[in-house]
Amino acid sequence: MSNYAALIPIAIVALSAIAAMLAEAFRQRDERMPIYGLGLIGLGGAAIASGVLWNSDAKSLEVIRSDNFALFINIVLCIVGILTMLMSNDVIEREQIPSGEYYALTLFAICGMMMMAAATDLLVIFVALEVLSLAVYVLTGIRRQSAAGAEAAFKYFLLGGFSSAFFLYGVAFAYALSGSTRIEAIGTALSAQPAGTPPSTIALLAVGLMAVGFAFKVSAVPFHMWTPDAYEGAPTIVTAFMSTGVKAAAFAAFARVFLSPLEPLQAHWIPVLSVIAAVTMIVGTVVGVVQTNVKRMLAYSSIAHAGYLLLGIISANRDGKASLLFYLLAYAVTNIGALGIVALLGTAQEQHDELRDFAGLWRSRPALAGLMTIFLLSLGGIPPTAGFIGKWYIFSAAVQEGHYWLAIIGVLTSVISVFFYLRIVVMMYMTEGSEIPRPRVPAAAMAALALAVAAVFYLGILPTRVIDLALNSISTIF
Amino acid sequence: MILSLIVFLPLAGALLVLFAGGSGDRPDREGLVKTLALVVSLVTFAATLVLWWMFDPTNADYQFVERHAWMPMFGIQYFVGVDGISLFLIVLTGFLTPLALLSSWDSVHKGVKMFAFFMLALESSMLGVFVAIDLFLFYMFWDFVLIPMYFLIGIWGYDRRVYAAVKFILYTMAGSVLMLIAIIGLAWAYDAMTGAPSFSLIDLQKLTLSWPMERWFFLAFALAFLIKVPLFPFHTWLPDAHVEAPTAGSVILAGVMLKMGTYGLVRFAFPLFPSAAMHYAPWIAAFAVIGIIYGALVAMVQPDLKKLVAYSSVSHLGFVVLGLCAMNAQGLQGSIYQMLNHGVSTGGLFMIVGMLSDRRHTRLISEFGGLKAVMPRFVAAFLLVTLSSIALPGMNGFVGEFLILLGGFLWSPKFAAIAATGVILSAVYMLWMFQRVNYGEVTNSKNTSLPDLLPREWALMVPTIAIAILMGVVPNVFLRPMEPAVKKTIERVTGRSFATAHAAPASRPLASGQKQVATTAQETATGRQPRANSQQPTAKANSHE
Repeated sequence: MSNYAALIPIAIVALSAIAAMLAEAFRQRDERMPIYGLGLIGLGGAAIASGVLWNSDAKSLEVIRSDNFALFINIVLCIVGILTMLMSNDVIEREQIPSGEYYALTLFAICGMMMMAAATDLLVIFVALEVLSLAVYVLTGIRRQSAAGAEAAFKYFLLGGFSSAFFLYGVAFAYALSGSTRIEAIGTALSAQPAGTPPSTIALLAVGLMAVGFAFKVSAVPFHMWTPDAYEGAPTIVTAFMSTGVKAAAFAAFARVFLSPLEPLQAHWIPVLSVIAAVTMIVGTVVGVVQTNVKRMLAYSSIAHAGYLLLGIISANRDGKASLLFYLLAYAVTNIGALGIVALLGTAQEQHDELRDFAGLWRSRPALAGLMTIFLLSLGGIPPTAGFIGKWYIFSAAVQEGHYWLAIIGVLTSVISVFFYLRIVVMMYMTEGSEIPRPRVPAAAMAALALAVAAVFYLGILPTRVIDLALNSISTIF
Repeated sequence: MILSLIVFLPLAGALLVLFAGGSGDRPDREGLVKTLALVVSLVTFAATLVLWWMFDPTNADYQFVERHAWMPMFGIQYFVGVDGISLFLIVLTGFLTPLALLSSWDSVHKGVKMFAFFMLALESSMLGVFVAIDLFLFYMFWDFVLIPMYFLIGIWGYDRRVYAAVKFILYTMAGSVLMLIAIIGLAWAYDAMTGAPSFSLIDLQKLTLSWPMERWFFLAFALAFLIKVPLFPFHTWLPDAHVEAPTAGSVILAGVMLKMGTYGLVRFAFPLFPSAAMHYAPWIAAFAVIGIIYGALVAMVQPDLKKLVAYSSVSHLGFVVLGLCAMNAQGLQGSIYQMLNHGVSTGGLFMIVGMLSDRRHTRLISEFGGLKAVMPRFVAAFLLVTLSSIALPGMNGFVGEFLILLGGFLWSPKFAAIAATGVILSAVYMLWMFQRVNYGEVTNSKNTSLPDLLPREWALMVPTIAIAILMGVVPNVFLRPMEPAVKKTIERVTGRSFATAHAAPASRPLASGQKQVATTAQETATGRQPRANSQQPTAKANSHE
């Protein structure tokens, strides 16, 4: 049994996904069935299982390893999933999204993400990547009557396919190098090289191609082209889910591959990733400034945040790894909150995701406007929110390694990003409102927003416990 | 406990106001919300007075210290304390917040609940800035201050409020973020020296930094603070923010927030990086002196009363920075004194402009004239505040400017000489403005029936003028508690550069840097001499009346 312990959280989520599918099959036409409850049970169970497995460092089938790093990501993913599910019920009904498929796909995506974070074999990472990607491609285009959704899904699928191919090609080179796809074996093969000799072309190709694959998934510039379209075309609640969940899983695998087996090649990939990180931060914020659609704006903000997260990998020290984990959590609760509010403001006819649609929100929905402001300030990195501590921690790690320039670019682009976050605030508070019908906010969604905002302040004011957990998580593997 | 109480009392009040105000915009609760906010701010003021009363004026160290581990793995603590430099800024914040709330009492009607919330949240964060000794804690308060002020300007301001609010927040934030990097760099430098990072000011002062590091870190700190002051040429956000802000916002902005910049210089930038500070002091002072003259000249030609007062702030704050750069007892004490004076008198001027603007909905000087005949009591109050601002002997401003010029002269006669012309210019633009607004015939028929001071406005003017006169007549009450902390700061800043001038002049990469250190060492020798009788100038100030 203990041989399969590491699989338990993943299995629980998979079972709940199957249950959601079955529930949909048995649903009468027009029957309202709270399928999201199944998802909540599954995710809650997975979170508890992850808690129980904490410190056990269980390995299953030699390719899935539930070390604390994977478990931390599991818990982040469960939080992402639970918040999404709580906000989904009314939103998907309004947008006429088939609920059974929606919940099942979301849960399968989470399965893939968890597997990706825990996998210690490059091929398993690839399989997990495909599991989560396929689910997310379908979720992006799940509104079948929407042309924008279909376009987004198609673009995302095509470019995502490319990136998977790049990644797989990189895996092939890694296999050629070491005769194995296991992470430890590749690490041994690379560090077996005598110091001082330049790495072989094959090794560099493996690193480069895998970096391209990951850069696609985390939407780093110049591999970010799919992000704005996919985020804008997808149903908003799906955008909230994939901007946080996919990012967390992709960064987890990115860190696991680059910081342990590929560590001997650090001197070669750090300069490249540094340039990518700098360009990502700059492009994400500068292009974000001119957007007039809030979802698109948050898509570019998500690109910028990928740049900040890359600093954690580049720093490659203890605090860099821990700050990566902390930042993923902080970004997850913040961004789901912000995009969740955008989703909740949509009506059956219109998405209401243009900047001007937020005008006067303060008058009609003061509580939502207040919460949105807090989430935006957290995205901008203003104390005392989660976003501030996250940025401080990640820049602190970069400074510790002497990457002053990256940290300076980071803080300056944060200021620019504050400018566009404030554009939304200006609309909500300082512009007279248009008479847009504002839908009622269901209690479950309000609970999700309350949880998210509580997390934002908890991580912003008393981050010690979570930082301790993050430090504890990275100590087991790297 | 008292410091935490003072800092978080307004925040608790802000949350209370939020709940007491009910959901949505409830006009029927307006009175309740305003009264509640005023009571909270008055209680906070009372607490700051208690703090002053309990303060030991002979002690140079931080008092009422509270230290709790916060993020122990990074040496981040909740570490607060008060010394003679911050004490009066805390009292000033406590003093001005109720006045600011009163000053917008009748002019704010939309979203009163949120207005009160942001005012109280602002007070909390400003108080936090003045008590924080841990740099991380300080930065959190420092950055957060911008948010409530942004909303105050953006929602309740005048016509171009959104532009002004965004400019304000971006400008000042762009300056501060580099300071964040420098703070992080300092903590890791401390880690390299001792094996554990720390953000405590007391710990970080023990660091010996390499010259390039010290220089860059100082510049990052100085940029953040000098934008906030604002020093010429970083002042361009200030006129916009001041002019567009509601009266309460202007009062707080001029009265307290600008002092956060000068306070930051004297508390953090100078003591943390003494050699760099002494190296760059002449440059900063040069810009300060330019700012004194420039601010005064630009103020002179302003048609708008609020803009005039805003530019006069640039000029006055130039004096404060000059005094800091002199880094001797007179200059530093004068600077801190002048921070308080400027808070009182410029705060008072903004209240006066607010009263005029409430009555006439314009702030153009040309719209007024001959007000003396219409509202004599108002004009009397106006006159006293104006005189306080132009530093008439017997009023608060005189003591501060005199000490600064004295300290400046001991340090660098040429700076002091140029700065002294600013004193004359300030009389020119203020009195000319006063004359155009209040004397002569009533030329505009709209001015013939303006009501004189209302009871609420009496409540604004009486304390302001009383404190202005009090500070002019018995400056020792305020100067004495500052003295130990001021001396300690000077010893810290100049003493160390004196030592390094002998210890490692060759390690300096810049020839000019060496020269500078040598001259500052000389300054130290001359600057130290008169410190023993630093009460002398204040005695002069008294005898002058």
